[in-house]
Amino acid sequence: MDSNQRSSWAAKARRYLERFRQNEDQLSLVLSLIIGGLVGLVVVAFILLTGRLAARMYPAGGSGWRRVLVPVLGSLGTGYLLWRYFPFARGSGIPQTKFALFIDDGRILFRTVLGKFFCCSASLASGIALGREGPSVQVGAGIASVIARNLGLSPRQVKALVPAGCAAALAAAFNTPIAAVMFSLEEIMGDLHASVLGSVVISSATSWMVLHLVLGDDPLFHVAAYKAVHPAEFLVYAVLGVVGGLGSVCFVKLLLGLRAWFMRLPKTTAWFQPVVGGLTVGLMGYFVPEVLGVGYNHVEKVLNGDIVLKVVVLLAVLKIVATAVCYASGNAGGIFGPALFIGAMMGATVGGVAHSLFPHYTAGAGAYALVGMGTAFAGIVRTPLTSVFMIFEITRDYTIIVPLMISNMIAYYISYKLQPESIYDALAQQEGVRLPHAHSRSRAERIEVRQVMRSAPVVLSPDLPIAVVLDQTNDSAFDAWPVADEQGLLGMVRSSELEQAADDGASNQSVGELLREASWSGQTVVGDPPHVYPDHSLSVALERMGNTGLNVLPVVSRANVRHLIGMVALDDVLDAYGVARRPGPKGRKR
Amino acid sequence: MAAPFAGRSFLGTVALVFLAIAILSAVDMFLAGLERKETRIEAAHLFAQGRDLMQRGKKTEAIERIQDALASDRGNHDYLRTLAQAQFEAGKTADAESTIEELLQTDSTDGLATLIMGRILAKEGQFPEAISYFRRAIYGHWNGDAAGNRLRARFELIDLLARRNSKEELLAELLPVQDQAPRDLNTQIRLGRLFLLAGSAGRAAAVFRGVLRNVPANADAYAGLGEAEFARGDYRAAQRDFQSALRLAPVDQTTRQRLDVCNELLMLDPTVRGLGPAERFHRSLKLLDLTLDQTRPCIGQNPSFQLQQFFDQAGKTLEARVSAAHQSEASEANLDLAEQLWQARRQECTPPPATDSPLALVLARLAQ
Repeated sequence: MDSNQRSSWAAKARRYLERFRQNEDQLSLVLSLIIGGLVGLVVVAFILLTGRLAARMYPAGGSGWRRVLVPVLGSLGTGYLLWRYFPFARGSGIPQTKFALFIDDGRILFRTVLGKFFCCSASLASGIALGREGPSVQVGAGIASVIARNLGLSPRQVKALVPAGCAAALAAAFNTPIAAVMFSLEEIMGDLHASVLGSVVISSATSWMVLHLVLGDDPLFHVAAYKAVHPAEFLVYAVLGVVGGLGSVCFVKLLLGLRAWFMRLPKTTAWFQPVVGGLTVGLMGYFVPEVLGVGYNHVEKVLNGDIVLKVVVLLAVLKIVATAVCYASGNAGGIFGPALFIGAMMGATVGGVAHSLFPHYTAGAGAYALVGMGTAFAGIVRTPLTSVFMIFEITRDYTIIVPLMISNMIAYYISYKLQPESIYDALAQQEGVRLPHAHSRSRAERIEVRQVMRSAPVVLSPDLPIAVVLDQTNDSAFDAWPVADEQGLLGMVRSSELEQAADDGASNQSVGELLREASWSGQTVVGDPPHVYPDHSLSVALERMGNTGLNVLPVVSRANVRHLIGMVALDDVLDAYGVARRPGPKGRKR
Repeated sequence: MAAPFAGRSFLGTVALVFLAIAILSAVDMFLAGLERKETRIEAAHLFAQGRDLMQRGKKTEAIERIQDALASDRGNHDYLRTLAQAQFEAGKTADAESTIEELLQTDSTDGLATLIMGRILAKEGQFPEAISYFRRAIYGHWNGDAAGNRLRARFELIDLLARRNSKEELLAELLPVQDQAPRDLNTQIRLGRLFLLAGSAGRAAAVFRGVLRNVPANADAYAGLGEAEFARGDYRAAQRDFQSALRLAPVDQTTRQRLDVCNELLMLDPTVRGLGPAERFHRSLKLLDLTLDQTRPCIGQNPSFQLQQFFDQAGKTLEARVSAAHQSEASEANLDLAEQLWQARRQECTPPPATDSPLALVLARLAQ
């Protein structure tokens, strides 16, 4: 091959690469796959590393002093590292990911990813009572961010890939790919209809496949098949929802209160504060080793009904306190895992009591522990859909869906009423950051066109001469008018067009002819004129007004686009948002 | 529109990402292998503790340990089998059943699992299902000493069938075992007794004789042989064997009782060879008298007309004097009458007569 041929191939490759870089859809698809695979591998390494380290640091049956000392030393070491080198790697990782997404154009530093990975591994392995899933999410988001930025993508593209990293991380951490997608949309993006759905699904599925390739087909928990014993049981699940909701609120308020207290301490103590968490969990672990670490093996025991009621109650209380103190004191770790742990214990408590009172009408404590996990997740993390999908994926059992939904929704409602802000939003506020959340968006979307529309003051017949029409519409603030015949709406004719026609001496021309001329010249749309539907939000109406340059739009039926229902005007929209009206109608040139 | 981030070279970044994927794959594989190895070691340690506790009779603790082992090494069939065994022995049959079901889902031919399931179902009284599982165990897959384990499983099934008194099924299971069973004394005596239970006295006798050829001074074998001869109707041989057994084990009350029955029967049986006409006549009278005694109380005050005739006839016969010349004919008549009375008793009396009493046995023999 001569040098000319080589340079020709190289040029072709460069052109192809450039075309590939310019094609956002293709690039996004390929990057989602790559991010899914890479994040899956990183999270698997994180899980394995944490597990192996934990087995060495506080082995089962080890001495009591070791269970005190290891968390203290672990929190001391990681506390210093976090303070000195990785300040953005503290805590769960979810609020930090949202900061990056909404405030910093999706920028997460590679140093933060490294810090999160290693500090969390050490912290969790030393027995700190936090979870690995939140940190995994930040690590996943960070990897997506680092790759996208290094490829020189725009901030918009980077921000679109960050949720893909989150979903990939959660899919591998929980072995729940659908729940991971839901979480990315529901919590991270705060929008279930987000346009990043495709890339999120691809990366989640890829990551899940990587997990299965490396670790096999083991679910997070091995549980017996769920059994609904009697329809009356749904009442007990409702009670579980109430208990779960109240328990979640207690946990969140305790955590936020403690976090606020720690934040009031002098800044110079920040590196030492995590030791408070380490010491607390260590002292608890001295007497009750089950409190240490993530504790999924104990959750599994509870799910299979292998722990007695008194121990279950004790574990629920201790874990709430231990997790709150560990998190608030600034240790690295998340609250997903503890939420599942606390939920399982609360569920087993309710189920255990119910089963002892009504043994023939209720399942064993294990079934309630299973539902309880979802309940606490819905109450604490405040993502009810994610929690339903997560438990469904963990159990792979369809019959659990109904009790899960009942319990989750009650817990979510109670939690929302007693603690209106979700834990991540509240934590962000404590850091001085106001994150956008789904509710604020939904409030904006809530007002529909039907609520502000009015009946059309004048509907012009296409046979009317322009001069007559100008007389009829002289004193109106509208800048366009609906033209309709017996078949229905034909289009909108603008005041400016009427005036222009009059100026051109075509006052006797009919409005219908004017509409047709405008259509041929491309000025006015006939056929499907600009319109909105009654169920459209005002933001859609505003957008269409902006696009068409009209200050009024016809409201038509979805069943028949020519059936005029009413009109929506810019002033009505501004009124609905509480914005002062524009100045009154201007005089019109004749 | 915001400006793109100042990136590295596109190809360089892609190369770095793929390098990272390659390195992480290797790290993950290493860590996964390490975890598998360590968790298996940990599980084996816990399992050993569990077995130790099981052997010391601490079933509950043993179950906990084995469950811990299983949590580390999921799906380990040895652990599952042992857990099911421990749960069964601890009386947790529902748990044991659930454990076995989990095991059978992955391997429905597992011999030990199906055997344990058979035991569980037998304990729960679900005999047809239990028998089915025992058969699956017999033809199932065994890891070591398959022949021995299959034989043990078959013996468990045989014991169950013997308890259920399912003679035909029992015999069907015993026949294949006869040649495979160990030749040791206990097994052979057990086999002989099982043949007796299955109603195959001839095979039982052959087994006991085989034992006695090897161990001539075995009381159990003689007692078993006596039972076999008794069942075959050879009361004389049975008497001889029972006596031999009692000589070897004088305190064996069961054998003594059987010998007493045997003696009584032989004293009563008018068909015994070598009897003179007088003795035969005497025995026929005794037999008629005993039959009358057995029948009269059960009929009560209002016997049927035919039975009343039999009673009257028997009364006259018992009081009649018979010359030596007519004793043979009289004997036959007495025995006929005794048989008719017995038949009438069987038809009109409840409860039915005991079938293993000397009188019943003799009359049954006469009816043949």
